[in-house]
Amino acid sequence: MIEFMFALAIGILFGIGVFQLLRRDLIKAAIGFAILFSAINLFFVAAGAFEGEFAPYLSNVQAGRSVSDPLVQAFILTAIVVSFGSFSLLLGIVNIISQRYDTVDSNDVTQLKH
Amino acid sequence: MQLAFITAAPFCLALLLALPQTRSHLGKTAQTLLSTALMAALFAWLVGSFPLVQAEQVIIQRLEWMPSLGIRLSFYLDGLSLLFGLIITGIGALIFFFAGFYFDDAAEYNRFMIWLASFAGAMLALVLSGNLLMLFIAWELTSVTSFLLIGFKGEKEAPAREGAFKALFVTSGGALALIIGLVMLGAAAGQVVSPEAGSGFVTELDVILGLNSLHEHSWFPLFAALILLGCFTKSAQFPFHFWLPGAMSAPTPASAYLHSATMVKAGIYLVARLSPAMYKNELWTNALLIMGLLTMLVGAVFAVKQSDLKGLLAYATVSKLGALMALLGLPGQAGLKAALVGIIAHALYKSALFMVAGTIDHVAHTRRINRLGGLRKELPVLFWVTVISALSMAGLPFLMGFVAKETLLDALLHYSAPWTGLIMLVALVSAALTALAAYMLIGEVFLGQRPRGLRIHKPPNPIYFGPALLAFCSLVMGFLLDPLVIPLLRLAVPKSFSLPLFAGFNEVFWMSAGVIGAGALLYLVREPLIKRITFPVSGDAVFREIIDYIDWAGNALLHFQSGYVRYYLVWILGSVSLMLVASGTLSTVTAGQTLLPQDLSMTATDLAKTFMLLLTIVAGALTVVLREHVKAAIAFGVIGYAIGVIFLIDHAPDVALVQMLVETMATVLIIIMLGQIRSGARLKVIHSLWAGRHDYNFGFLRDLGISIVIGSAVFVFSLIALQNRPERRSIAEWHLANTGLVNSEDAVGAIVADFRGTDTLLEIAVFTTAALGVLTLLARGRNGGGRLVPSQASVDRLPEIDAEAVEEIQDATSLSTPFTRLVTHFVLPIAILIGIAQILYGGSGPGDGFTAGVTIGLAVSLWYVVLGYDEARRQLPWFRPEQFVRLGLVIGIVNALVPLLFRKGFMGHVQFDKALGIYDLVGSFGLHITSSLFFEIAIAITVMGGLGIIIEAIAYPKSRAAADEGLSAAGIGN
Repeated sequence: MIEFMFALAIGILFGIGVFQLLRRDLIKAAIGFAILFSAINLFFVAAGAFEGEFAPYLSNVQAGRSVSDPLVQAFILTAIVVSFGSFSLLLGIVNIISQRYDTVDSNDVTQLKH
Repeated sequence: MQLAFITAAPFCLALLLALPQTRSHLGKTAQTLLSTALMAALFAWLVGSFPLVQAEQVIIQRLEWMPSLGIRLSFYLDGLSLLFGLIITGIGALIFFFAGFYFDDAAEYNRFMIWLASFAGAMLALVLSGNLLMLFIAWELTSVTSFLLIGFKGEKEAPAREGAFKALFVTSGGALALIIGLVMLGAAAGQVVSPEAGSGFVTELDVILGLNSLHEHSWFPLFAALILLGCFTKSAQFPFHFWLPGAMSAPTPASAYLHSATMVKAGIYLVARLSPAMYKNELWTNALLIMGLLTMLVGAVFAVKQSDLKGLLAYATVSKLGALMALLGLPGQAGLKAALVGIIAHALYKSALFMVAGTIDHVAHTRRINRLGGLRKELPVLFWVTVISALSMAGLPFLMGFVAKETLLDALLHYSAPWTGLIMLVALVSAALTALAAYMLIGEVFLGQRPRGLRIHKPPNPIYFGPALLAFCSLVMGFLLDPLVIPLLRLAVPKSFSLPLFAGFNEVFWMSAGVIGAGALLYLVREPLIKRITFPVSGDAVFREIIDYIDWAGNALLHFQSGYVRYYLVWILGSVSLMLVASGTLSTVTAGQTLLPQDLSMTATDLAKTFMLLLTIVAGALTVVLREHVKAAIAFGVIGYAIGVIFLIDHAPDVALVQMLVETMATVLIIIMLGQIRSGARLKVIHSLWAGRHDYNFGFLRDLGISIVIGSAVFVFSLIALQNRPERRSIAEWHLANTGLVNSEDAVGAIVADFRGTDTLLEIAVFTTAALGVLTLLARGRNGGGRLVPSQASVDRLPEIDAEAVEEIQDATSLSTPFTRLVTHFVLPIAILIGIAQILYGGSGPGDGFTAGVTIGLAVSLWYVVLGYDEARRQLPWFRPEQFVRLGLVIGIVNALVPLLFRKGFMGHVQFDKALGIYDLVGSFGLHITSSLFFEIAIAITVMGGLGIIIEAIAYPKSRAAADEGLSAAGIGN
């Protein structure tokens, strides 16, 4: 059941992210991009961190408790950091577009090449 | 080991020359002498190693490189390598010296020498390498350095760019074939070495050359063809020869060195190198023979047509390379001796002639043959150098070229095949044409009338040194065959042989004499003859056709680029769905499953998670529905926090902490950025997208439709993936079991900082790159180039631009109340304390260097939000993000290298506290001083710096940007 809920949330968030990207509002598009990242991170955590009743700490392992998968978590950490890096780059792009063209409507920006 | 040093020495020279200190402190003469001395020393070392090679036949030295792949750095010195090594270093020393006087401009000379020295290193690595993969890397390095040298004047001259591109296109295209061929050869050799293992892979040269059944392997035709393709392109064999004349736009020292003496012989070298294992198969020898003879003839014919001095030399080189290939293609390695003699003779006379051409270009500013003439009186030294070298090229008796031609004709004559007659005809015609080209060099350039308007100036005398020495060698080498040449050849040629200077008046001598005479006759009738020679197609035209087709295909593809994200999304979605369905993955995985949940029961934690998931969905919907950007940004923050809570419930406290910090940072960044964008611009897009409350127009419905389709697809995919995720953890078990070994309590922290530390190192590098990307984008975009970081002067300057700007700044800093200022001032030290604690105790709980960096970054961003850009910059003078990034990355890399001293490998785990004997002392504070700790510190500093860069770049006031633009236009400030 919880898998279903996760899948539902991932699908809806992904759809929202795509919708924001398709609209012409560049600020919303940046936000939509970040939502896409969130959906993907959510997918990873759902895929890896289900089993296990405790955080992956040495004391828990030694006490024989079942712990969640640490490797997936390490990967998500990396994913979060990298997606944040690309998100800030995106914000930079939106920022410079808005200053150069005095607009945040992607349809008004037709001369990025120059 | 010594061979590794020999190979590394030219690279070190290149590095040394590239240092700014060298450039400012060492003059051109000093650099010239230094480079020449180094190459001469290497030459002397190789000469000195001669007795050792004589005693041992082969010297092999190995260094571990990638032990897990079984790949080693192997160095291999035998007669063949030694011969090539001597040419590379010996001719190299002379060319390096020559270049010092060829270039007038010291900076240009320095730039040139950096690349030329790198090339020398790559070429030495190529001939000294005892491993096929290492050989290939060196091979590619020579192509790249050759590209840089050909395109040396590319900034100003289009032909240089074109020639460089052409050379790279052809040689690296061939190299692609070569690498496949080498890998197949390695795999085939592996099968031969251990047939039962089946998948062994052998790249060590000594093993491969020791095999005697490789030529019977079923893959032989394929890998032989691929390797030969690589060699033919590199050594400019017909029809790939056309890049070599194009490469003549390189400065002449490079042409003399790369494109006559060394690099173009790399293909010859590799063929000779592999021949012992390959020559028994007739495919190999016949291909070499046919291509070689064809190239020999074509090159000679083209050579006499050239009007450019260097072009003539280039085609003569092509012809000679063909002759060498053909000799290597004689059955039973019968031509090896002749080929090696030819290589020596050619290196001597052709390098000298190239240097002559370069000197003429230098003094007369032209290389057109018809504009030159009668230079004998002005340039007597060059004249005699040319006479000796060109006559050696023509093969006049007792010069080194004569020996080469005698052995060539002799070897071909003894090849008894039905078509020996044809072969001899080709060889004789080519030789006669080569003789004609040689006579033309003397006659057209130095004799006859000097054309009107040809002015020359005296070159510096040392420029003559290299060519004169080489010409002298051409002159006397023939008389020194016994003491010098024959011992060297005996190391490289397995069979016994004799090499007389003069073999008597036999048929070869009469042929040789006939060729020289025929050349002379042709010289008399050269003008009508050359006019008669026309070609239906040129290699250049074919090349241009190919490039045109590639362009056309590129343009055709451009039609698919609409520029609208929605169409790309549809394409991507469509192809992914097609792949999933067509490959049968979906139906296989879901066979016998129902996607809808059967069991609707939920535990308490599941309920909590479900609630959070629903919250993300609602917040997600709000980001769409809330029209104002600030509100949408806050709704976006809610999504991130809800996901953070899910991480927390799912027993991932580290991830939860990072997620929440990053989410906060992202939201703050959006809000800072919103302050930068004119509210009118924001309102405009909101109005145009939401014109009228219920006016859901076509665009809205279309986008909604696409998103619903994509969202549903992702939903189905996730559901299938989640229901079928693997139950068993793989390497995670090992990580959990070994967390204690790296003095960590937290397995996630241990993975991030230790087990997969290299990942993390790269991750912070990526993060830094993104930060620098933001900075570059904003700084460059604003100033239209110029400085990346705003100058201190422009920071100190108060904004006094226009009323609107001031108003805007006040607007942005309206959060600045006495209370918020107080909070701001308090938060930063607390954040720094928290950061330090997270670094020090990161091993025993959530939090690590990254969270520490983000925490401090958040506190700093508060300053920018509350106090505004100017005041934040003024009050935090110690916050220098660029320096932090630099420092952090340096600490990270040094820390990754330090374990090597402890023999732990890159990024190994070192317990410094144990090494220093203070383990118990610091342990009583709950600390462990290990390499992980320093890594965390590096991460924290880098991330803090990266965030600082991003914040400063995004918070940089717009009014200031406008002012900067004005200043840079007026030439002040920046």
